[in-house]
Amino acid sequence: MNGYAGKLLDIDLSTATIQEKILDEQLARKYLSGLGFNAEILYRELQPGIDPLGPENILVFNVGVMVGTNIPTASRIEASAKSPLTGRFGTTNSGNYWGSELKFAGYDGVIVRGRAEKPTYVLIRDEEVKFLDGGHLWGKDCWEAIDLIRADHRDPEIQVALIGPAGENLVRFASIENGYYDAWARTGLGAVMGSKNLKAIAVRGTGSVKVAHKREFLSAVDETRRAIVSSPFFGAFSKFGSMLATGPYHEFGALPGRNFQTGYLPTWWETRGRPQVPKFSKRGVGCIACNIACAHWAEVKEGPFAGLKMKDLEVTPVFAFGAQCDIEDLSVVVKATEVCQRLGMDLVSAGSSVAFAMELVQRGILTRDDLGFELPWGEVEGSLQLLEDIALRKGVGAVLAEGTGRAGEKIAGAMDCAMTVKGLEIPMYDPRGRWSTWTLGFLTNLRGGDHLRSRNPVENLKYNENIEPYRTEKFGFDLKLYEQLDMPAAVKEDIFTAPAGEVNVAKMAKWAEDLLALYNSLGICIRPPVLQQVGPTLMAKLYTTLTGWEITPEEMIQAGERIWNLQKLFNLREGEARSEHVFPERFYRVPLPEGPAAGRVLDRERVEAALDEYFQARGWDPATTGPGTEKLQELGLRQ
Amino acid sequence: MAKELVINPQRCIGCTTCALTCSITYGEDFNLNRAFVQILKDDRKGLFSIAFSSACKGCKKCAEVCPSGALRTIEVADKPKEGQ
Repeated sequence: MNGYAGKLLDIDLSTATIQEKILDEQLARKYLSGLGFNAEILYRELQPGIDPLGPENILVFNVGVMVGTNIPTASRIEASAKSPLTGRFGTTNSGNYWGSELKFAGYDGVIVRGRAEKPTYVLIRDEEVKFLDGGHLWGKDCWEAIDLIRADHRDPEIQVALIGPAGENLVRFASIENGYYDAWARTGLGAVMGSKNLKAIAVRGTGSVKVAHKREFLSAVDETRRAIVSSPFFGAFSKFGSMLATGPYHEFGALPGRNFQTGYLPTWWETRGRPQVPKFSKRGVGCIACNIACAHWAEVKEGPFAGLKMKDLEVTPVFAFGAQCDIEDLSVVVKATEVCQRLGMDLVSAGSSVAFAMELVQRGILTRDDLGFELPWGEVEGSLQLLEDIALRKGVGAVLAEGTGRAGEKIAGAMDCAMTVKGLEIPMYDPRGRWSTWTLGFLTNLRGGDHLRSRNPVENLKYNENIEPYRTEKFGFDLKLYEQLDMPAAVKEDIFTAPAGEVNVAKMAKWAEDLLALYNSLGICIRPPVLQQVGPTLMAKLYTTLTGWEITPEEMIQAGERIWNLQKLFNLREGEARSEHVFPERFYRVPLPEGPAAGRVLDRERVEAALDEYFQARGWDPATTGPGTEKLQELGLRQ
Repeated sequence: MAKELVINPQRCIGCTTCALTCSITYGEDFNLNRAFVQILKDDRKGLFSIAFSSACKGCKKCAEVCPSGALRTIEVADKPKEGQ
């Protein structure tokens, strides 16, 4: 096969058996790879209602078909299982080098079933696949375990997907770490891996990825590279990475300050804003095939954590620990990031859990006696201690390890402090301070409150006032960008008001979700310079020349829609209802107290109207949120 | 004017685009072991070293695609031919 390795590795830990499955061409064309394969496999194979932490859950890693080539940013792998945090389709995406090693070893993906009797790790080295004793790795943090695995095999280039103590202890938001500094973080798949007694999957490959039409393919790759570099976001993103976002949300007064109690932190910009980046970092680090290098190599130069060095001063932990916990010192955020990476926990849910506990302390619901230490806003030592307690399920940590939704139900009076949508902790920013495609996406996202699956590719963070509140967001770029945007003309006319002044939020959310489902199914990165420049036309050109299988831009975007709908069918089968598409009560009832967005609350009726418009745009019944027969037939999802 | 390759591993971001591109330029598929340039990773420290094979053809395609400036070309005056 071209592009594809052509095989999936099917591992049963209960019986210690390995099967190679030949990739079915019809399935590959229909679901592409990555997220698409994961959705197809889990929807077909999992029974509804199973225990996500039981041996019957299946954990799947599928690498994007574009990974292993020189397509810019093609490094990504999707991991999925039924989530122990949300009870829905748990899914998460990561880059780095693991995916290319797996492709070069000859596999497009790995399916993990069952439960090993004792701690185990799997080694994949080209055609050699082995179950190995993981006893010496169990209990070790992720960084130590990678070092040990590499030493076991005397190969410093082995790439490792693994869990830390949090995954072993079934923390419901445990991550699967991807090397030292990257992760499949959200929705708790580390706990699924832990429940299977699987510490790691170590991979090394020396083979090839074949190309169908070399000359045409390389020309499409050049076109892609030129397109990404031409994005107005490219220069700033290479320089500051995701820390670019620290500015706008401060200016909007939409920070998730003190567990979403305030949108405005007066010292934010001076202490935690973008200007801090050069103090920590002078150079970028990329994943394989990346031409952006959004990650920055960070070094802490002073204070108690001086000498700490690691990849990435990234905005998500800066919002989680810097804003939600109101920790002013970015070197502490770097330290908290390290702690989460070593213990193997999702930075967003972990930071949100610490902020949740801080608010319970503020309200007198939790005390020093409960915790064993002080935990006021901004507390450094207590926060780091609590992270460890969560990972090891010690004291209050054992309750928080269940996620803030479950902890909120367990601790009297705490439910109002759990900042989740569909059981997943909300990251990044407060919808009261800014309503956009992104915000509606917190509700429509199939994995819950999350910022990575619904992003307007031409979001303009200069503006926060819209002509039709809740219905539109301001575009405001020059017309050239509008004209260049790779979107069918009819869709463009439907989404943008003439002359491209405003974007319809509900319709853009649908487009963005389908588009991002494609990114996650092809293996390319969703960073803004790519998202803005690489649409279905370029994707179709790359896919066709790489695989030799013709696909049109229309078929490409429809594949994204199919993959989104299939995840939805999974969730509906697990009982997802319209009533779950809801923000924490605080957002509707409690006005933001200070800053540029002071006084704002969400208008429940208008949020519901935006959801109605979204369901309509999707061809889903607004009452059940399910796709109708017509939509399923159109997408080829009804056999 | 001739072009000469300048190597600055401190600027390398580890993307390996050079080696991926090299392998497809001189072969029919992507295979890092067949590339004439190799990126050796110390990913714990975020450091990368760049090594060239003695079989390298000197086409400098790697520098053309390097996004970070770790590999780049500079123009130099043509060397005088022997005997001149």
